[in-house]
Amino acid sequence: MRRFSGRFRSSLIIGLQGIRARKLRTLLSMISLFLGVLAVVVVQAGASIAERALLADLELTAGYDGTRVMEMQASQQAAEVLTTTAKGRSDAVVMLGINGIVGEPGVLPVNPGGSPIDEDWGPPMNCDENGCVPIGGPEGEAVELRLTALTGDVRKFRPFRQESGRWLDFTTVPALAPRLVLNMEAAKAFDRHHVPAEMRVGGAANNVTPRFTGVVDDGDGQPRAYVRLDELTNWLPTSKLADPNTSGELRLMMTAGSPVEQVVTSKLKAMGNEPYAFTVESRKEQEKTLTLMRLVFFAMAGLVLLIGVAGILNVGLATVGERVEEFALRRAVGTPRFLLAGIVLVETLLTGLFTAAAAIGVSVAGLRVVSMIVGSSEPLLRDVQFPWEAGVAGIIAGLVAGVLGGFVPALRAAGIPIATVMRA
Amino acid sequence: MTTALIELSGITKVLKGQEQPRTILDGVGLTVHPGESVAIVGRSGSGKSTLLSVIGLFDRPDSGSYLLDGQEIARLPERRAARLRSSHFGFVFQRFFLLKHLTAAQNVAMALVNGQGWHPRRQRRTRVMEALEQVGIAHLAKNRPTKMSGGEQQRVAIARALVRDPKVLLADEPTGALDTETGTLVIDALLSATQRGCGLILVTHDRDHAARMGRTHDLIDGVLNERVAAR
Repeated sequence: MRRFSGRFRSSLIIGLQGIRARKLRTLLSMISLFLGVLAVVVVQAGASIAERALLADLELTAGYDGTRVMEMQASQQAAEVLTTTAKGRSDAVVMLGINGIVGEPGVLPVNPGGSPIDEDWGPPMNCDENGCVPIGGPEGEAVELRLTALTGDVRKFRPFRQESGRWLDFTTVPALAPRLVLNMEAAKAFDRHHVPAEMRVGGAANNVTPRFTGVVDDGDGQPRAYVRLDELTNWLPTSKLADPNTSGELRLMMTAGSPVEQVVTSKLKAMGNEPYAFTVESRKEQEKTLTLMRLVFFAMAGLVLLIGVAGILNVGLATVGERVEEFALRRAVGTPRFLLAGIVLVETLLTGLFTAAAAIGVSVAGLRVVSMIVGSSEPLLRDVQFPWEAGVAGIIAGLVAGVLGGFVPALRAAGIPIATVMRA
Repeated sequence: MTTALIELSGITKVLKGQEQPRTILDGVGLTVHPGESVAIVGRSGSGKSTLLSVIGLFDRPDSGSYLLDGQEIARLPERRAARLRSSHFGFVFQRFFLLKHLTAAQNVAMALVNGQGWHPRRQRRTRVMEALEQVGIAHLAKNRPTKMSGGEQQRVAIARALVRDPKVLLADEPTGALDTETGTLVIDALLSATQRGCGLILVTHDRDHAARMGRTHDLIDGVLNERVAAR
């Protein structure tokens, strides 16, 4: 071990002396390698940032990886089973969905059916055994949206991004005027249409006066509002919330291993309602797409890196050719052959490492500049951090290039006969 | 009588790869004791450097016996030969082979930073300065070879050979590129090493320098003969 340490330190000292003696050559090698390492760093950084962005978007709509989700046919009994079982628990949240209209009473909403505000899903229809006929009514200023009633803070399962205002507070006494948190599409709708604060929900005892407390990005393209279940049920019976005739939604989000899942499943099965449960695996779903994309870009970066390796190889061979006497002399004073190879490899490895450091530095600076310039218009690049994986990839690329570029010159150096010093 | 440092007997070296194989060394025998100085003289192409290569373990003899400190080393693998070169031998060549980008001290330290054992920086510095003092140029430790005269450069090369306290110094025409006066100083430096028990084998054309050695051998057509009359 001691001997190995001495040899390693010897090759490091001699390698550094060699680099200092040939600064220009080292710089030229670095330049030839720089683009290749930079390409690897940029590809890895881009892939990591894209992966994080894709994953963040998927988490917004599907939830964090590992979250258990249970869906079932909406019914009054199912809603009661879910709300009574999950009430007051921190490991499970029930989401009950229903349509509501906020605005002038008795008028058709500007987006019938709760469509995105710039899309037209056609007029609302009233259907019976004779067919469907459009529902008539006067036009006015009202917005239809999906109302999602929550039994607890769902953000531990779905990382909504708070855009403005406050999220729902589940620790306070329920308010009589339901507090709503809008998603981006709903906020856009209310930004365009100034409507009176009156909310109609099918089956409610009265029209209620909602209060908007904040806006979140939930990744949903439809206008949606989140509300505390206990505030909504002041006005609306739970049975109406889960009414399949009013497009009711019923969903349970849980931590993995939560006992709620088993209890709810048993109760629902007893009622003849077979639930469907699954685990969110967003990362796995996007992996195939990202792997293919990454392979294509890495292949391109690899080609550029190979050109850099050829540069190191070329300079390395020329340098060894110039240092024949030095290496022969080193052998004469007892330096083993493999240490001579080690000296050359140390020089090319250090060159690769210095290049990697330069490429990483340029990438970090470049990312900061891009973030500053286009960050305001591109949320993906706002305050984006340089991914450490890209740094690691750059260092590995530098080291691999150093080994590949230095291997043949190292073999040459090890093969130089000592007799060279006698013949000189 | 002490054990011989070097004991060659029947050493033969044939140069192959030509139409006619050429015998460079033909049954050479030579014994060197600690503190003894030996000059080998001969015409160009007589095999002097080849003999030195065999003695310094740069090359292997085709046949014969080579005892170093009583151990047979004629067929040594390269790794062990490198270790012995480092521990037993110091080499001085006609050309000084100093690395231009290193200072005199760093050039001397080169023999210590060779992967054969590790010498901490402070220890390295002490040994390098001692070696430079032995050859009288400690004051030039920080100078680069390009700023030194030929004699000074050769003394740096001798310091490099001495820094590991070798048992044998092998000098191949060390004064060949120097004027007479400087050459004499270099021979003085080499001979001073023999006073500390180091054996010296000097290959030279210069009869005056050869005369200062304890013994002189003539190498003629690969055959080594001791010159009795020269004593």
